[in-house]
Amino acid sequence: MTRADKVVIVLAVLLLPFLYIEFWGNRSQGEVVLIRSTNSEDTTLPLDQDKQLTIEGALGTSIIDIKDRQVRFIDSPCQGKQCVMAGWLNKDGQLAACLPNGVTVQIMGRDQRFDAVNF
Amino acid sequence: MFFVVISFSLLLISGCEQQPQIHQQQVLALGTLVDISIYGVDDKIAAKAVTAVSNKMEAIHHDWHAWQPSKLTYINQQLAAGSTISLGPKQRQLIQTGITLARQSNDLFNPAAGKLIALWGFHSHERPNGAPPASSNIETLVNAGARMSELILNDNQLSTINPAVMIDVGGYAKGYAVDQGIDELRRMGIDNAIINAGGDLRAIGDKGGHPWRIGIRHPRQAGVIASLETRGDESVFTSGDYERYFKYQGQRFHHIIDPRTGRPAQGTRSATIIHRDASTADAAATAVFIAGPTQWRETARAMGIEEVMLIDATGTIHMTEAMSRRIHFEVHDQPIKTIIVP
Repeated sequence: MTRADKVVIVLAVLLLPFLYIEFWGNRSQGEVVLIRSTNSEDTTLPLDQDKQLTIEGALGTSIIDIKDRQVRFIDSPCQGKQCVMAGWLNKDGQLAACLPNGVTVQIMGRDQRFDAVNF
Repeated sequence: MFFVVISFSLLLISGCEQQPQIHQQQVLALGTLVDISIYGVDDKIAAKAVTAVSNKMEAIHHDWHAWQPSKLTYINQQLAAGSTISLGPKQRQLIQTGITLARQSNDLFNPAAGKLIALWGFHSHERPNGAPPASSNIETLVNAGARMSELILNDNQLSTINPAVMIDVGGYAKGYAVDQGIDELRRMGIDNAIINAGGDLRAIGDKGGHPWRIGIRHPRQAGVIASLETRGDESVFTSGDYERYFKYQGQRFHHIIDPRTGRPAQGTRSATIIHRDASTADAAATAVFIAGPTQWRETARAMGIEEVMLIDATGTIHMTEAMSRRIHFEVHDQPIKTIIVP
């Protein structure tokens, strides 16, 4: 074994943690929340800063809550309240929409588990 | 040392190759949120494809709108007046598909029952909470017995022997639009994609040799109940009682009307179908939902569907053997009762 071989082995071992985090690490945690409304500009907010905000939509005001790296609809002026029932979103790519009010909330990035969700 | 440098370069190159090449975009179309994922083409082509698909779907939505003035409302006016209408090739194709699917389902899937859907108030974006229709009105329409088999389609000439027929393509138009969207993608040379129209989807190809992974949402709680990997070209459609409904005196009335009773179908929470084309999967999800926990297998068989999962009103999961081989349950904190049939 030459000196160069040893260097390669040492460097390869040092690289392992980096490679592990890069390719197998938990990337399901989202970083930002994208809020879209047909009646206002898109809003992007960090997921790690707790905040409650009101968004104006086609029918009225949707109330969105960001807390503990999660986001949800608290209220929306729609009948079915599907958006509120969607509950907390906390993974990349998860989305809740109040279609009647034209407001969507999504954690940006890709869901590592699924390419699409059927319902 | 040269060898060390080469090793690092190779690692970095392979690192770059690992980056996902999935272009994902959402558009509002078909009155819902359509999520399109495209693999393996550059972003410009993908964005162009998304626009093309979205335009195609919007055109279908406008042409076949059940209650806003559309080509369909015109057809229905003419049928109600006892007239004969000339159809374009696309219109003829969609009506013929509806006639075939209704026949296969033994009329459990009944796009001729538009008057019932309207009576229940589901010809609106959001049915307000309030009393369900009067029993006498429901019975009148059930007795009028509007069926797709009462349409007469000679070449491109459409008429009906029953003026109670009012076509509502809501039970398979989403599937039809998804099929048309996939055709559009293929025409543009895209062979690896998912079109997910408000939770109902068709997936073609894969993502660089890895199958597309699909989650199936739990009908009663947040999150996914099961998952599957698509093979080549497949649609996954679910009809659920949680999708559209209204409440009256503490009772929930959902939008999937059983044409035999004229009321929301009982006994099922959700029905999920895997099938190649989305139009058939869409219609079959409705028919199987209505058939319920005792008759679903028969209905699926008659419609040529092999992969079916039905969650009944008690939460028990009924599925075909073929479906049981495809799905993996993602709920591990509670027991799931399953009944598997050949």
